[in-house]
Amino acid sequence: MDKIKAATGTLQGCFGCHIALLDLHEELLDILASVDIVRSPINDVKEVPKVALGILDGSVSNTDNEKVAKSFRENSDKLMALGTCACFGGVPGLRNLFKLDDVLERGYVTTESTVDGKVPSSKDIPKLSSHVRALHQVVDVDYKLPGCPPTPARIKEFLTAIVKGEEPKLPGKNLCHECTREHKEMYVPKREFLTDSVHAIMELDSIDDKMCFLEQGVLCLGPATREGCGSRCVEGNTPCRGCMGPTDNALEQGAKMINALASILPAGGLMFMEDVVGVGYRYSLPVSIYPHLEEGK
Amino acid sequence: MNVGLFLSRVDGAVSSTVDLDSLAKKYKDLASVKVYDNLLSGASQKSIIDEVAAKKLDGVVLAGQSPLFYKKTRNADRIFGLLREAGVNPNLIATVNMKEQVAMPHRSHPKEATAKAKVMIDVAIQKVMMSKPVELVGVTPKRRVLVIGTTVAGLFAGQGLAAMGYEVEFLDLPGREPVRAANEAVTPTLAYLQNSPRVSFVVSEITDFYGYPGNFRIAHADGRKLRVGAVIVAIPEDAEYTDKLYPYLRLERNDNGTFMNLHADTATVETAQPGIFMLPGADADITKVIPLADSACALVDGLLGHGDIQHELFVSEVDESVCGGCGTCIKTCIFGAAELDPVTKLSSTNFKRCVGCGNCVSACPTGAREQVSATTAYLVSAIKTLASYKASKGPKVLFLACEGCGMPGLDYAGKKGVEYTANVLPLVVRCAGRIDTQLILDAFREGFDGVAICKCKNDHCLNIVGNVDLDRRANLFRAVLKSRGIESERLRIFGTIECEGGYCVENTVSFMDYLKGLGGHSNG
Repeated sequence: MDKIKAATGTLQGCFGCHIALLDLHEELLDILASVDIVRSPINDVKEVPKVALGILDGSVSNTDNEKVAKSFRENSDKLMALGTCACFGGVPGLRNLFKLDDVLERGYVTTESTVDGKVPSSKDIPKLSSHVRALHQVVDVDYKLPGCPPTPARIKEFLTAIVKGEEPKLPGKNLCHECTREHKEMYVPKREFLTDSVHAIMELDSIDDKMCFLEQGVLCLGPATREGCGSRCVEGNTPCRGCMGPTDNALEQGAKMINALASILPAGGLMFMEDVVGVGYRYSLPVSIYPHLEEGK
Repeated sequence: MNVGLFLSRVDGAVSSTVDLDSLAKKYKDLASVKVYDNLLSGASQKSIIDEVAAKKLDGVVLAGQSPLFYKKTRNADRIFGLLREAGVNPNLIATVNMKEQVAMPHRSHPKEATAKAKVMIDVAIQKVMMSKPVELVGVTPKRRVLVIGTTVAGLFAGQGLAAMGYEVEFLDLPGREPVRAANEAVTPTLAYLQNSPRVSFVVSEITDFYGYPGNFRIAHADGRKLRVGAVIVAIPEDAEYTDKLYPYLRLERNDNGTFMNLHADTATVETAQPGIFMLPGADADITKVIPLADSACALVDGLLGHGDIQHELFVSEVDESVCGGCGTCIKTCIFGAAELDPVTKLSSTNFKRCVGCGNCVSACPTGAREQVSATTAYLVSAIKTLASYKASKGPKVLFLACEGCGMPGLDYAGKKGVEYTANVLPLVVRCAGRIDTQLILDAFREGFDGVAICKCKNDHCLNIVGNVDLDRRANLFRAVLKSRGIESERLRIFGTIECEGGYCVENTVSFMDYLKGLGGHSNG
């Protein structure tokens, strides 16, 4: 089989998705047998050559990100958004809750450790966009693989499908489907909250590692989150934070979790442990129905 | 899909304000558009049915009066029966409250009224186009009737039914059995019942009640189960007594907490729940009671005595490719209609218990649940269409009204002649519990300056917890609005009952004034 040419790049993010690709370890060699990565952050090629597949991680947050995204689109037959930031804007997207000027002011001037700070301005520095956007909000995207980061296995599965000319598929149900923890109370048809109280996990001496988090009064975003991450967090006795984003039928993740929690935990999980917005939209604010703070308000 | 639009002048009540002829011209792409003086006369009904056949119509929009008018006025709902017989599925029929929500309240502003009628008709057409036919099941009616309350009226009705060959069970709640002194008028009836093999008297609490006309299932506190075709409620006017039955029967209630009949003048024995009838309590004048008891017998026999009853499954459905079996809907449904399928381990709907309120559809965190009568896609498209109304100045409000109290309240205000700005754009939902917070966010995105939600007040929610769940969701959701720079006060929720229509409009108008003070809201 002929090798296909691919290019990878990174926008605003933490680089974790590229690390996840490298985390394939020796299995990466199986990928490289059919994919020739001609441009990546590792070989430091500046321009994007013509490729069959472009892969971008990170969100679109500044003028340079936008330029790179457009250049990838122009030069790739197919473009793949890799990871939560590229798919939904990710954690950097929470900046959309603030005005741009306030963000810059906070970052460069009013931080506690800053003395005589100044917002840098130079034509050599890319301009920060007023809002963080997901990749598909800037250019057309052919494939989306969310996850913060996606599992190496899922990356391999996606790339293998694409190389074969098949449409890569994400599982479509919520995390509860994949989660192996035991549900009991959730299946009792009774209008009662699961617990009398809600706890942050650090408040608890121990957490039952076999039992649904919600049934222990611990907030878990699993119900409003797509499966496909391999349940790494819940297997590690840590509740889901929602990095896989909403399922296809939900219009957005935050509002859906609010609707659900209202009849599951008291006071909606103590007002989502006092940060409804930060918790409900941690990874997906830029793709929310109402994706940012209204400017000038 | 072939859709017919039938506009009614309502004998001038609509056409004096709304320019129906110019509206009709805007819909010439539809399979059929016609304007009638009213939709109640034999001639116009025949013309509509002929049109259904000639143009092979799949769906129909009736733009004239409120669906409540058809439901509550004796025989006015005949048009729906005719349409169904002509092959139009009940889920592909939509109504537009042109008289109550457009012509009457905006009679001083005909231009705005016509523009508003346009978007409301558009929404109704979308509802028809975006709906799938509802499934109909044939129910073989049980020839058994439950009479709750051995009051004079209850006894006479039960005797009449027993004489017609029906089995009758009389039920009194413990401590509520009337002590009956010898009474010339009642003693023979009581004697008839006591010696009839088809009649039984029971004192018990109800612990479960579900089903539909022709086949209701009742569980008693002692574990005994009973199936009946119809129920007659003949209890004294007593709020405490009513409270005990309310969670099971879900009948509309008066302000004083007692059950309400369908219409005080023209449908005194019927209730808003098909298959459940009501008679006056113990102290009523016997000369008035006997004709009503006879009337109840005739209605019950009309329902149960003529072959299979077609029941419409207006329920909540599950998309099994998305449901992950989290159990949220099972925790949410007050009717026990959401169940875990033992084989698939996914959620499923018990069609016998589901009342179609849509609370689980809002609660479902994956969007796997869908309401057959109003899909999320339809509601989103309706919000977009209503937001396109631009004929009036000032703040624009999406008025989400529940079918139980919000829509009747708004209708009532219109009928009473209360005028308000046409910038209040109503969208009817089955229950407040169906108001998914996603829709509220969507309304602000589409450019509404405020969202008013009019729901049943306090314990008047026909779906018991829909209004409570809306409040809980909205309380959490206000933080989301605030985080986007939308003042949380731009979402106003208030409870009403039908006869408080004035209150519901007053509240909306004061809300509009408040929004004017805030200034415009537009999604930048």
